[in-house]
Amino acid sequence: MSAKGSELHSLSEEQHARLAHLVMKRQASLSLRVALIFVILVFGLPLFNYYLPELANTNIMGFSATWLFLGVLFFPITWVLSAYFIKQSDKIESECADWREVLGVEAGEPIVDDPNSDIHPAFIESDREDSN
Amino acid sequence: MVYIPLIFVVIIIVVTVGLGIWATKSSRSASDFFVAGRSVNVFWNASAISGEYLSAASFMGIAGMLMKNGYDALWYPVGYATGYLFLLLFIAGPLRRFGAYTIPDFAEGRFDSPLFRRIAVTFVLFIGFFYTMPQMKGAGVTMSSILNWPYWVGIIVVGTVITFNVALGGMKGITIVQAFQYWAKLFGIAVPCFILMAVYGGYHSKLGDNTEKPKDIPRLSKETPLVFKGKKDTPANTISLSSAEPTTITFPKGAVIDKISAVRKAERGEAKISPSAFSNKLPATIPAEGIVLAAGTVLTLTPAPVTKEDEAVIGSDGKPVFTGAKIEFKEPLSADTKIEGVLPAKTLVPNAQSNKKWVEPFGTLTSKYNYPLLYTYSLIIALVCGTAGLPHILVRFYTNPDGRSAKRTTMLVMVLLGCFYVFTPMWGVLGRSLLPALYANNATDSVVIRLPKALDNAMLGYILSGITSAGAFAAFMSTFSGLLVSMSGALAHDIYGRILRPQSSPESRLLAFKIAAIVFGVVAMLLGLLVESFDINMMVGWAFAIAAASYFPLLLLGSWWRGLTVYGAAAGMLGGGLLSLTAIVTSMLLDKKILGWTLSPLVRSLMEQPAIWGVPLALTIMYVVSKATANHIPKDVHIKMLRLHAPEEMGVSKDYIEH
Repeated sequence: MSAKGSELHSLSEEQHARLAHLVMKRQASLSLRVALIFVILVFGLPLFNYYLPELANTNIMGFSATWLFLGVLFFPITWVLSAYFIKQSDKIESECADWREVLGVEAGEPIVDDPNSDIHPAFIESDREDSN
Repeated sequence: MVYIPLIFVVIIIVVTVGLGIWATKSSRSASDFFVAGRSVNVFWNASAISGEYLSAASFMGIAGMLMKNGYDALWYPVGYATGYLFLLLFIAGPLRRFGAYTIPDFAEGRFDSPLFRRIAVTFVLFIGFFYTMPQMKGAGVTMSSILNWPYWVGIIVVGTVITFNVALGGMKGITIVQAFQYWAKLFGIAVPCFILMAVYGGYHSKLGDNTEKPKDIPRLSKETPLVFKGKKDTPANTISLSSAEPTTITFPKGAVIDKISAVRKAERGEAKISPSAFSNKLPATIPAEGIVLAAGTVLTLTPAPVTKEDEAVIGSDGKPVFTGAKIEFKEPLSADTKIEGVLPAKTLVPNAQSNKKWVEPFGTLTSKYNYPLLYTYSLIIALVCGTAGLPHILVRFYTNPDGRSAKRTTMLVMVLLGCFYVFTPMWGVLGRSLLPALYANNATDSVVIRLPKALDNAMLGYILSGITSAGAFAAFMSTFSGLLVSMSGALAHDIYGRILRPQSSPESRLLAFKIAAIVFGVVAMLLGLLVESFDINMMVGWAFAIAAASYFPLLLLGSWWRGLTVYGAAAGMLGGGLLSLTAIVTSMLLDKKILGWTLSPLVRSLMEQPAIWGVPLALTIMYVVSKATANHIPKDVHIKMLRLHAPEEMGVSKDYIEH
């Protein structure tokens, strides 16, 4: 277990909660934003087909517009969405890599409590394979 | 020359066994067996996941469904491929970071509840068997359509080869095989498709034939012998004839007709049409033993006028409305004959929709119960959420070295799957234009195997058919091997290693894995023999519906909502999963006419496609029950959340099993 990790365990429960909240918040809002675009596309298309059938069935080089969109173009659109997501998600992760920065604790500042006394149980049963 | 396809199938099987043995040499530790040593790089892992995912339903089923249903079936390839976006956005990274081996590991680790592990294991096995049966059926049917060998041959071949591979090499042994099989499948679906299009015309021109002549129905190009299915294959024992022209069918060996009715759904007040209205050779009412047609009978069925209170019904175009006859056959006269019929050239193909209905949205598939939007949405939800909840796919994410590479793998999987799935509709379009006889036979599922043989150059046709057959076998084998690993893993790791014998050594777990693989392999073969008359897509649909309403909500809320308790998770998973399963099985029994209930079309639609209520139901149960049992939230939930979401650099994640 890395030194960084063991220091992290010595944080109080409140600090863990705050850290988890901060790490998850930005990732969640990114995921939800991308999901929203996907949902609008995938749930919007049936409505478009239903209410604007003439537009949906416009002939484009033999394809109907809606067939071209769903059967061919939809795949690359989702690739673009996922590429965007991964880029942004990596950015968030590199900014969250150091928990001190996330919590706003100055690097090198003494950590609360004695690091040896308050190790969280979840990390003691480190290898369930052996301990069970 | 008929042996050419067999040669291709033998080659793919030999390569599978060879690669499996080769990969096994480097597969020793427990971690190799269960998660391929967690060291599979992004390219190989993505190829392997795609190889595992593209099953019999993807390789043969989608092309067939598209040929049958047109535009509506496009949702299948799109849903299967883009479901991975949800997996990427919400599940892939956290699941890998949590460091558990299997979904049951996640279930127990997240909630500290061994009981929940047992429930989760049960679902792994359940979904696994549902998904296994169609692979086995696909193998049996394909082998028999290549060489007319009996149904069981393909099952035994695929079952034995894969059980051998898995028992020998575990996850690591199959990773490289599955990766290879992805590329074999892409080759198998793409190359013959390009060649057929080079000979007969491209995607857009064949599709254009449909958009340009909206009222047309495909015609048979030459005299065509057909084999009709008997009553045990209901609803595939039906042929629906044209309402535009008379259809003549010759029965060289005779047949027994169970029922003749009108194709058109009667509207309120319209008179019932008797069999004699279609042909003067038929009686006005059908006797209890059915209408027996002697050998050599030539039956000409003329469309009958639709009447309402003794007056002809006039359509929107100002002409009287006619309806074609819908014939349902009984079993063949004796067990060793088939119901054979001959249709003359130029006949309008039975069971085919008009071009307009086929090429435009809301055709026969989604409009089945007159709630096309509802059906479409429910189908989309099932496919997208189901993909994100399939245990044999999820287990593969643990083979990534870290959360970041898990995300990259998912993206590459989407690219690989998109490249494959874009071809499946082309097969459907080509099949409609080149081999419409499959409609009349209710055999559109075999379009990828049979279409190449329709080429004028017989030699080329057999070679291309060999390539698609080999691709189909790659599909059965790779999916089955993934299922076998996930089920054997569940038994050896979760049941034996965690529940029965927690003190057991890694070596004895390895042995348990091998024994489990052999036992499940045999069980899967036996099950495969039982499901000959089941529909491949239907069985896969079951697995998706259960996964969408059980594992997907569990993983979504388990990864993102710290308030989820073990009671909430278990209640939601069981409630959503089991109710969806009940609905879908009941719906099948109604289709097969085993149950005789009359239900409103709305209810029927919701039962056939349960995801639209099943997924929200599971999420709601999880939320409500968790709120009621909030004192059971694990005490270290924040650390668990950090383990799911914090980047590796932070140093919180850990693996359940070290190397």
